[in-house]
This record gives sequence, C-alpha cells and structure tokens, in this order.
Amino acid sequence: MSQHVIVDSVSHRDLRVLDGASAALGDNVMAALATPHEFRALQAFYPIVFRRDLASGQVSALALFGFENGENLYLKGEHWDAPCKPLAHAVQPFLIGRSQDADMPGQVHIDLDHPRVTQAGERGVRLFDEDGRASPLLENAAQMLGDLDGAYRESGSFFAALERYDLLEPFTLEVPLVDGSKHTLVGFLAINEDKLRALGGGEMGDLHREGHLMPLFMAMASVSQFAGLVARRNARISGT
Amino acid sequence: MNTQVQRVIIVGGGTAGWLSACLLAAKRPELAITLVEAPDIPTIGVGEGTWPTMRASLAAIGIVEAEFLACCDASFKQGSRFDGWVTGAANDSYLHPFTPPPPCAPEALVAAWAARGETQALPYADTMTPQAAAVARDLAPRQAAMPGYAGALNYAYHLDAGKFAALLMRHATERLGVQHIAARVTDVIKEADGNLAALITDSAGTIPGDLFIDCSGLAGLLIGAHCGVGWVDRSDVLFNDRALAVQVPVLPGSGIASATIATAHEAGWIWDIGLPARRGIGCIYASRFMDDDAARAVLLRYVEQAVPGADVAALAPRKLAFPTGHREEFWHGNCVAVGLSAGFLEPLEASAIVMIELSLQALCANFPRSRAAMPIHAARFNALFRYRWDRIVEFLKLHYLPSQRQEPYWLAQRDPAHVPPRLAALMELWRDQPPSAWDFPQAHEIFPAESHAYVLYGMGFAPPPYAGDIAEAQARLDEVAYRARALASALPTNRALLPQAPAQPVLAQPVLAQTVLESLT
Repeated sequence: MSQHVIVDSVSHRDLRVLDGASAALGDNVMAALATPHEFRALQAFYPIVFRRDLASGQVSALALFGFENGENLYLKGEHWDAPCKPLAHAVQPFLIGRSQDADMPGQVHIDLDHPRVTQAGERGVRLFDEDGRASPLLENAAQMLGDLDGAYRESGSFFAALERYDLLEPFTLEVPLVDGSKHTLVGFLAINEDKLRALGGGEMGDLHREGHLMPLFMAMASVSQFAGLVARRNARISGT
Repeated sequence: MNTQVQRVIIVGGGTAGWLSACLLAAKRPELAITLVEAPDIPTIGVGEGTWPTMRASLAAIGIVEAEFLACCDASFKQGSRFDGWVTGAANDSYLHPFTPPPPCAPEALVAAWAARGETQALPYADTMTPQAAAVARDLAPRQAAMPGYAGALNYAYHLDAGKFAALLMRHATERLGVQHIAARVTDVIKEADGNLAALITDSAGTIPGDLFIDCSGLAGLLIGAHCGVGWVDRSDVLFNDRALAVQVPVLPGSGIASATIATAHEAGWIWDIGLPARRGIGCIYASRFMDDDAARAVLLRYVEQAVPGADVAALAPRKLAFPTGHREEFWHGNCVAVGLSAGFLEPLEASAIVMIELSLQALCANFPRSRAAMPIHAARFNALFRYRWDRIVEFLKLHYLPSQRQEPYWLAQRDPAHVPPRLAALMELWRDQPPSAWDFPQAHEIFPAESHAYVLYGMGFAPPPYAGDIAEAQARLDEVAYRARALASALPTNRALLPQAPAQPVLAQPVLAQTVLESLT
C-alpha cells in the first residue's frame, strides 16, 4: 500500500520521519534502483545488475542487497553496514512527483503509508519548523530527489547504448553456501564482457564521448562484490 | 602507629556525603570507607542542579543513566537562562548554555557575531551554539536511540536532591561496599599533633579513622567546631543571604524546561528548576534590601505567572538563611571539608554539587597514601580550592555588573567598592578584547572564558572592535545556524524523552554499569 501526496507545510506541519535503519522501517529489501551516475560509489559495496521489465521492455539497474525477496544482508539489526546507499532507497519515504508537463521541475512527494512516516508522537525528525520553513531533513531530501531525477533522466541514453551494442546478457549465479545448500540467482542481466571486448575503436570512442564507458566498467567491477554478498549470507547462516 | 591511610570516615549523608563515598569507593577500592550520619538530620536539599561533569561522575561510580533519571525524577539541564537581569523588561533574557562556541579564535567569533546583518542578527548564545534553539523549545539534548550519558548537545541534570542522596546511599552500601553507621557524632578524639584519631558517637561507640571527610553541611562539625578552621565571609561581594523555597506540582504533559531559569527581581532573583512532576522554585534575596514578607510576595507572584494551574494558596515556602563564604582552609590536618561545610554561595550557577565532584576528583587523584605526605597534599588542595572559590565568587558577581537596573540593591551590586579587584581589572580589559584563555590560565578552570563571554555578551556588553579577518568565523557560525535547525527538527521534547512517571527504583545489573563505564573511558 502506498499513498503519495505532495509535501506541503500546512498539511504536514507536524509530520515526522524516522531515521536510522531497520527492517521495521522498510529496509528489508533485496535490491534498490541504481542510476549509472551512482555506479562509481555503489560498486565499492554492492553488486550492480540489470533487469528488463517484461511488459515495457525497459532496462534498469539495481544494487543488490541480498539473494531473495526481503533479504538485506547489509542490515544488521539497526545498523546498515555500508557507508552509502542507492539514492532511490536513501531518499525514502520521499519520491518525485510530476505534473502533466514533464519539463516542469518535479515536486517533493511523500508516501504517507511508508513505515518511516509518523503522524503522532515525538519520535523522528520534523519536516517543517514552527514557522513552516523546511527542516534540513526536507531540504536534503529535496536535494537528493533533484539529483536522483537528473541521474534518472540521463540513464536512458546509457541503457540505450547497452542495447545498441547488445552488451547485456542474462546470467545465472549459483551460490554455494556453508550449510551445503545452494542459492540460484536468475532473471538478471549482466554486461557481456566478450561483446564489449569485441567493440571497435570507433564504437568505444562513441561510448566514451557519451560518458557511458565509466559506468559500464564500474558495473563490471561491481560483480566482484558478489563474493562479499555470499560471505554476508554465510555469516548469517553460521550466526557470526 | 599505622602510617598508611586506609580508613576514611565521612561525617554526614546528603548529596555531599554519599557522592563523596561513591566517588572515593569507585576510584579507590582499596580504602575502607565508613559514612556516619545522624539519623534525624534532614538534608538541606537545595542543590538540585548539576554540571555536565555529573555524567562522568555517575558513569565512574557505575550508575546507569536510565536508572539515575528514573530514581531521581531527573531532567536534562542544558544551561541557565537569565530573565530580567539587564533591565527587567519583558524581552530581557539571555542564555548561558553548556555547549561552548565553535572552535575558533574568540576575538574573531565575537566580531563575526557583531557583524551579522539584520536578517541573521541573533542573541549571542543563539549565534554561538545550536543549544539555544533546543532550549527555547524545551527539547532534550539527545534522541531516544542514543546511549546513556551521550548527547548531541552538552548537558547536565536537574534532580530531586533527596532522591539523589537515597540512590547514592543505596549504591554506595549495596554495590560499593561503603559501611553506613547511623549515629550522632558527639565528640572527637585527637592525636598529639592535633590530627583527628576517632569520632565518639552516641550509639555506635568510637569510630577510628585515618582521613576524615566533613560533609556535615553548614554546621562544619569537624572542620569548624573541632579543627577550628575559620570562615572567610564573602558577603561584601555577594549580598544575598536568604532563600524562600517551594515545590510546585505541574500539570501532566506540561513542558519541562531545558535550563534553570533565573529571574531577577528588585533585590535578588528567583530560581526555577523543572522536573517531570514538579518545579522547584525559590526566591533568593538580600535581607539588607528586602524583608521576608516582600520576598514571599515576589515568590508567589512569580509562581502564579510562571506555573499554569498552580495552587498558590496551598504553597508553604520554606525559609533558609545562609552565610556567603568559605573556609580559610578546606583540608586541615587529616580532615577535608566537602560540600556546604567547605563553603556556600548563592546557587546562581549551580556550583554546589560540582564543587563536591571537583573536591573528590582532586582527592582521589592525589590520595595521601601515607601520613607523611598529608601536609603536602593539604597545601596543594587548599591553594587549588581557594583559587576556585575566588573564581566562582567573581563569576557570580559578573552576572550583576553589566546590569542597568536602578533599584538600590542593583546599584549597590555595581558599586566598585563591592567588586573584587581582579574582576574589575578583567572588566576593564574586556572593553578591548573578549574573554580568552589568557584570562583563565589554569589547566582546570572552573568557569572558562567561554562562560564569561556568554554572560557578558548575553547582557549586552559591547563587543570590542576587531580589525582581523572574520571569514572563517562566519563560516563556523553558519554551520552553527544549520545545526540549530537540524537539531530543532530532530530532537524530542524533554517530556517525550524522560521517564513518564516517577518510577520504582530499579537496580540495574552492575555488569551493565561497567559497560557504560568502559564506553566512556
């Protein structure tokens, strides 16, 4: 369930947002959307994979937190064990709202049914001060939404380039775990390194000129984070 | 004769006695500590405000904060607010917060504050620390998820002194091995050199000791009556000598102030200390300028205006007459005076309890292992604490000097004949330069330059001209302003964070206390 509304200083004068990390606050998710703009920062901590929406055919990228729905191996009680998060997750419960005119700047929306939103009580951070001025938390959220919006708009050409050169391939990951069981990760796409290597100088030059080369290599580098993710899963199994 | 100092006898319970017992027992576990307390003497219980030092003291003696807050009906104190001290007008108010200004040269900070344009112009404390924004909104110094004794802002406590002494007594006797003897001291036995050898009591026989700590309050049973140490009167500088105190129940859910509120009146001032269930309010006055009836009227008028729902007719103010001054020596022979037996000043900056902590800090760190070293320790202790009493007297006096009030009492407070020469010289100096560490050169100053600046500029003392660069200071102050907004939106109110109802004493597991201790050291 979600209930998205435009944030305003009258209706949301006393609204508060709970910070921190926990499953109860909605952090028990296995992945979050990642924009190519963020790949450099994210690849140091998370595997980045791609996914094609079956209905629309659109490609998007994800930072993986776990191997199955609801599993976030970076969440340890009330601590998120990584110094950065994908913007799309960090900005919750806020999201971008759009008017009919797509060129108008986005508005700050909030999901009133998000577990981080609290109407009563005194826990959490206020959105507005007594004078109706945005709090630093809301200012920061607006800033992040702006960044996210920009990064999202730019991501289209990146995914188009991947499609143009047919650089995505389905991959299956078999994860042997310490208890003898196996996890199989299916349904995601990864960069096809052979096809990338086969591209000519002119095509590489185009990718570079358009700014796609760096995120492309960052996504490839992030694959090494699967080892860390497996280790987190094994640690959870053996209770260490 | 045994020349090792092992048996410590504390005379008197109350906050001074039990806090001394706890600190000494926690830091010097090798000592045998006995506290002798007359069973029928009520504690004075006016010391209900602490300094931030109390957090480290409580952690050191192994009491967890949640237990302390619940057992002592305590609340968070983030500073003192002074209303009416400059002119007495309705908007005359300034704050002395516990959080210091950002790290930067004081002259540049003061100049940057003075240079703030109209849109950014704020009182000195509001410009220097985000704490002012929190205090103005009755906010707690930290969020619920932060561990005990940690804060986003520096803080101390307001507490119920009677319950505090009871908690410390329980902790000292049940967990720290302090022996408690309920008996009245009738006389002492002295050695040939004049040192104390033993106490003679009415119901517990003779109690021998190596070191005696006099926590008997204003009576000064050992330090005065038996050691004959004289009293240095400071009432020529600080005029107040009477207090009328009441405790006023508050409405459920009402705001709990984050600061001690000190409101000036024509011949003194009123303290107002907010606890979860009651407010402790008292009228301090100088009997030379105001009689008891007038003081009572001032007190009741204040309660009527300041405490919603208060039943003024039901209040029975308790009167205290107090001397202003301190001992000539605080350590004489093998007797150390701690608490009111060492001295008493008007409770304007809550110096009573912190002086207990500081005395024990000095004593624990320099405990006389042998009788031979005792005179050396005594001389150092006396020099240190004479310096500290002098500094407190001057700092309290500072609160009266920039005032513009015209009542006879206030004019007399500003009369140069009643201003200590060192303070008068500093006031002259501060016309040209702001208070700095050069003015307070000791390693462990009781009130730092920052505190003096909060009072001076809070009261409208003119900032000195400054020709240097203030760009960096401006940047620091911008950070303070941002942090003030962030904290104001993120901190819960005191009412929301503090225990909801006076709780039954819960003795926390000692192992938990140990964990807190380790995390702080």
